[in-house]
Amino acid sequence: MRIGIVCPYSFDVPGGVQNHVMDLAEALIALGHEVSVLAPADEDSPLPSYVVPAGRAVPLPYNGSVARIAFGPVSTARVRRWITRGDFDVLHVHEPLTLSLSLLAVLSARGPVVATFHTAMTRSRALAAAQGVLQIVLERITARIAVSALARKVQVEHMDGGAVEIPNGVAVAKFAHAEPLPGWPGECGPGTGGTLGFLGRFTEPRKGFSVLRDAFVDLAPSRPGLRLLVAGPGDPDDLFGQFPAGLRDRVTFLGLVSEEEKARMLRSVHLYVAPNTGGESFGMILTEALAAGTTVVASDLDAFRRVLDGGRAGRLFATGDPVALRDALVDLLDDAAARATLTDCGDQVVASYDWPVVARRVLEVYAAAIEATDGRVIDEEWVGPG
Amino acid sequence: MPGMWWAVGAIVLVGLVSTYLVWTAGRVERLHARAQSAARALDAHLLRRAAAAAVLAERRYGVELYAAARIALDAHPDEREAAENDLTRQLRAVQLDPVDPDCEAVVAASRRLALARQVHTDLVRDARAVRGRTLVRLLRMGRGREWPRYFDIDDPILTVPADVPTG
Repeated sequence: MRIGIVCPYSFDVPGGVQNHVMDLAEALIALGHEVSVLAPADEDSPLPSYVVPAGRAVPLPYNGSVARIAFGPVSTARVRRWITRGDFDVLHVHEPLTLSLSLLAVLSARGPVVATFHTAMTRSRALAAAQGVLQIVLERITARIAVSALARKVQVEHMDGGAVEIPNGVAVAKFAHAEPLPGWPGECGPGTGGTLGFLGRFTEPRKGFSVLRDAFVDLAPSRPGLRLLVAGPGDPDDLFGQFPAGLRDRVTFLGLVSEEEKARMLRSVHLYVAPNTGGESFGMILTEALAAGTTVVASDLDAFRRVLDGGRAGRLFATGDPVALRDALVDLLDDAAARATLTDCGDQVVASYDWPVVARRVLEVYAAAIEATDGRVIDEEWVGPG
Repeated sequence: MPGMWWAVGAIVLVGLVSTYLVWTAGRVERLHARAQSAARALDAHLLRRAAAAAVLAERRYGVELYAAARIALDAHPDEREAAENDLTRQLRAVQLDPVDPDCEAVVAASRRLALARQVHTDLVRDARAVRGRTLVRLLRMGRGREWPRYFDIDDPILTVPADVPTG
């Protein structure tokens, strides 16, 4: 199958959508399909061979954050040329409702269009004001994919349409075989040692870092050797300032990490802790931690409960409760067998998130979109194992 | 000469209005054609599922499932939704065996059918929405084409015991 994928955000900056697009493209290529990805990028920036740069992206404040996007007559011409040259069987756009290459591609497309919605944003005010325009964009889309139950709910309730829920994939092999950082995770036995991990913006309240900090500060004095490994954007002073002076040498801060370092970091801890207090629509980091074979302790949010199979693949604790978290940590750090039971189940769960599996489900949606456009059914070989 | 500007203005206005009308007519046509294609694809997937179920029923599950599959295959358009729902119920009632290739085929056909149903519903909704617009109704655009019809069946997706996808 000839597949054209449009990524709205520049590959110059790392981000969830960009990673998703790259992993999906690589998984589809590995299954024997021809893939071309159009993304905003400078002509001379280093890109994988399947990416076609569509020119430099300009920063634009959007929905409370800064998006780097490409839009305008020049971009339109490039999108049209790419579509004409590509002669794609199916066009797959990501986040088509942002002002971006994706929107341009939807409006320029003639054949079947599949759209993936990543964020669970409710209709923004600008979009609500432009209801007619929104409808014109949406009705050019043949099939819709939502990456989380929440994103799907938004589709159903606000955009008048169904969407197939296909979760984010995770490159299981990359995480499963990553080398732990030297000297980590170290010893862990009953009453002593153990390493906890946290990844994310520790200054953002809904990431719940303060819950983990309280549990750590409570537990560390009575548990010699307990360490905390933190990665994510932020100022080290803001992090260490939250801990009493005596405990600071037991906290290690990695700063912002790359994808490879993230995999190594997840392999370097006994327990990965996700103390989020809300706002998570999927819980990508949990599937990554499971892929790394690390035991997960997470707050009891709907999204996390779903990923962790109701608690069989990881321990859930009452959201926002440091005491409940501390108890869960003690239980699991003392009991290697319990950790092994959880990670065994985690392996099974994460297999359904592995990119080859997810990419096959995406291919079935491509087939459905193509069939709905020309009315003929595609043979199984197109989407079957191959 | 103010009169000329009136004329120019009127011509531009007529041009804009007719462009809009032509564009809208094209849109109505396109959405109807697509809803029709989706209906054909849905039909094909319904037949595929029923055929796969009949093959499976002949070999292992016997007469009730076989009868449901036959009825779904032969159903009159008015009774088809009920017949397909009945087949879904029958398939859910039997214990599917994930390692049997015939069961696998039924599960895969059901999954493809679920996608076809989803896409068809969305496209019919789009077509009906544009058909229902006042301007489209007033100018009777899309006459000669029937209103696209929903095909109202339950989600046909099947869950297999020990639902671990094999990569």
